[in-house]
Amino acid sequence: MNILNVALKEIKSATRERRTLLFMLAFPIVLMLILGTALSNVFSGSAIVGEMQLLYKITANEPQLTQSWQSFSQEIERQGIKIIPAEAGMNGQDLVKDGQYSAYVELESDGMKFYGSSKQSIESNVLQGMLTAFADRYNLAASAIKSAPSEAKAVMESIQSNDEFVNETSLDPDKTPGAMDYYAISMTTMIALYSALSGSFLFRSERTRQTAIRLMAAPISKGELFAGKVIGCTIINLLCVSIIILVSKFAFHANWGDHMGLVFLILTAEVLLAVSLGLGVSYLVQGEKSRSVIMIFTQIASFVGGAYFPVGDSDSIMGIVMNLSPLRWANEAIMNLIYSDDVLGAWPTIGINVAIAAAFLLISALIMRKREAL
Amino acid sequence: MNVLEIRNLTKKFGDFIAVDNMSLNIREGEIFGFLGSNGAGKSTTINMISSLLRSTKGDIEVLGRNIATNGKFAKMNIGIVPQDISIYENMTSYENVSFFAGLYGLRGNLLKERTEEALDFVGLGDKAKSFPKNFSGGMKRRLNIACAIAHRPKLIIMDEPTVGIDPQSRNYILNSVRKLNEMGCTIIYTSHYMEEVEEICTRIAIVDHGKIIADGTKEQLKAIITDTKNIWIEIKATDSPSIDSLKQIQGVITAQLEDNTIKINSKGEINNLNRVIQQLIKDGIEIRSVEEQAPNLETVFLTLTGRNLRD
Ligand SMILES: Nc1ncnc2c1ncn2[C@@H]1O[C@H](COP(=O)(O)OP(=O)(O)O)[C@@H](O)[C@H]1O
Ligand SMILES: [Mg+2]
Repeated sequence: MNILNVALKEIKSATRERRTLLFMLAFPIVLMLILGTALSNVFSGSAIVGEMQLLYKITANEPQLTQSWQSFSQEIERQGIKIIPAEAGMNGQDLVKDGQYSAYVELESDGMKFYGSSKQSIESNVLQGMLTAFADRYNLAASAIKSAPSEAKAVMESIQSNDEFVNETSLDPDKTPGAMDYYAISMTTMIALYSALSGSFLFRSERTRQTAIRLMAAPISKGELFAGKVIGCTIINLLCVSIIILVSKFAFHANWGDHMGLVFLILTAEVLLAVSLGLGVSYLVQGEKSRSVIMIFTQIASFVGGAYFPVGDSDSIMGIVMNLSPLRWANEAIMNLIYSDDVLGAWPTIGINVAIAAAFLLISALIMRKREAL
Repeated sequence: MNVLEIRNLTKKFGDFIAVDNMSLNIREGEIFGFLGSNGAGKSTTINMISSLLRSTKGDIEVLGRNIATNGKFAKMNIGIVPQDISIYENMTSYENVSFFAGLYGLRGNLLKERTEEALDFVGLGDKAKSFPKNFSGGMKRRLNIACAIAHRPKLIIMDEPTVGIDPQSRNYILNSVRKLNEMGCTIIYTSHYMEEVEEICTRIAIVDHGKIIADGTKEQLKAIITDTKNIWIEIKATDSPSIDSLKQIQGVITAQLEDNTIKINSKGEINNLNRVIQQLIKDGIEIRSVEEQAPNLETVFLTLTGRNLRD
């Protein structure tokens, strides 16, 4: 009950902080509007989805399949996808690994084997969707092998469920993100990350206002206080995120896809991660410095994570840095969800966010317990 | 019954001993004053009583139960008015009181009733919907009190509740303390203003360097210093007397110049007024008036510590 009390108080006082609210809402919406309209040309066609090259090999000796494949190839080549037959002696899997092709497929008599590039994940996801549709149409049992077996399961399951969205989304060229679609997502994930700031203020503000004294003197445990604050802070930031989603969806007509529930869950996990990160840093770094650390982190993570411009796949150090940005994790998971119905791909992202959040919460809770004051 | 029992309480910050082996009993119905200059250890003591600080050594019992093992019970029965104003500026008076009272388990109609009662009590009933950021210092202090009393604690601890406010708010607060006491609350009141403590407290402890150096009613405390007397000599404002030569005079314990008054504390049995006046005349000081002060807590403090309360 005390947890609820504290959470409600957090939410109430957050709604009173006009300047913070304005920042959390107006900043992303205005940026979305500016970037989304100014850069709309850059995004026409396949700016996000790079050139797709599908390497294939038919080992099955079935004229029916070969014929179907030919007509399928023609159909998707018209959409700008390069279909290349593998020559004898070529190791398709290795070539995909090297990044020369987006994906490699082997058509066998007993099914289809799919190797997607993890470096071009959006592209390979799109191809995967198309091939799933193809497999559906010709009732082939397909199996996809990426690095993780869970990916193989993804294809199997989407085949079994005979998912029509795969078909539709993947074969429709209009379904690549436009500028507004892109910035709707990236600004939302960016502001979700900025929750770290309010997380870092959760206890610092009680200390500077001296209200920590009253809280400590009241018959409420540090644990209840902690839980109430984290819950309240997460809810208020999710509220901001929701408003931004609604504005982008209904005022700017951004495409949020057909899995809103899962998109929201990814964002919830991201907010929780950000709040916990802010809280953790406020306990690990003393005083005003914690604010600077959070500011620098969120800004760099936003920049390299694709908040202001789409970032490609890269093997360089930059690529590694980019992959460390929680913003990128969320962006990729949401993109894949919207544009290639990659439902299962969302879960690892959610899992990583929650796990890191848990680690930071644990650290903060331990430091807090050891301290005399809050 | 004892509302509070403290035994051998000690608090160290590193090597520094802020509270030094303090023992004390406070009975139900008392308004107990902690009088001491800044840094004496008053706040540290009451912060340990209200579980804000852990003691280095010693025991504290609230209503007969040790707070180390009955922390929640003690907290439920204590209301604390912190030295630093401890309220949320972005929540209304009502929301402030209601939030803190809610932490003590009050809900629904009872919570509403008690919140309104507390606000009325401190005279902020008509400011329930106002935000404290627009309040005067005195109003903030009063809200600070309201937040401590809505859950009707048996023991109310007020740490310098009148610092930095106008005389009107100060009187209001002193009256509130009396009223709370009449309603059955036991009160611990810390202050470095001796007038306040002398005015409202039924028993007073003088604290210095983390120790209680004297304790009793104000009459008992004043009785300590019947063997000394205080002579106040008002002089011309522009004159500068030699305080050191006054201190040389036989019987003089301390001598100080405050504004244009020389304050001398001297042994009672020695007649040295003539010599003091002779000295001043010799130095060419113009004397305006001479009076012997009845002993007050300030002179008690001065006698016991050799220092002024405000130092
Ligand atoms: N957290 C702390 N760390 C170190 N020293 C402290 C701390 N709190 C108080 N002190 C020291 O303990 C002494 C007593 O302080 P305090 O109890 O606040 O005095 P008072 O309330 O009587 O003015 C002071 O010398 C103060 O500097
Ligand atoms: Mg103090």
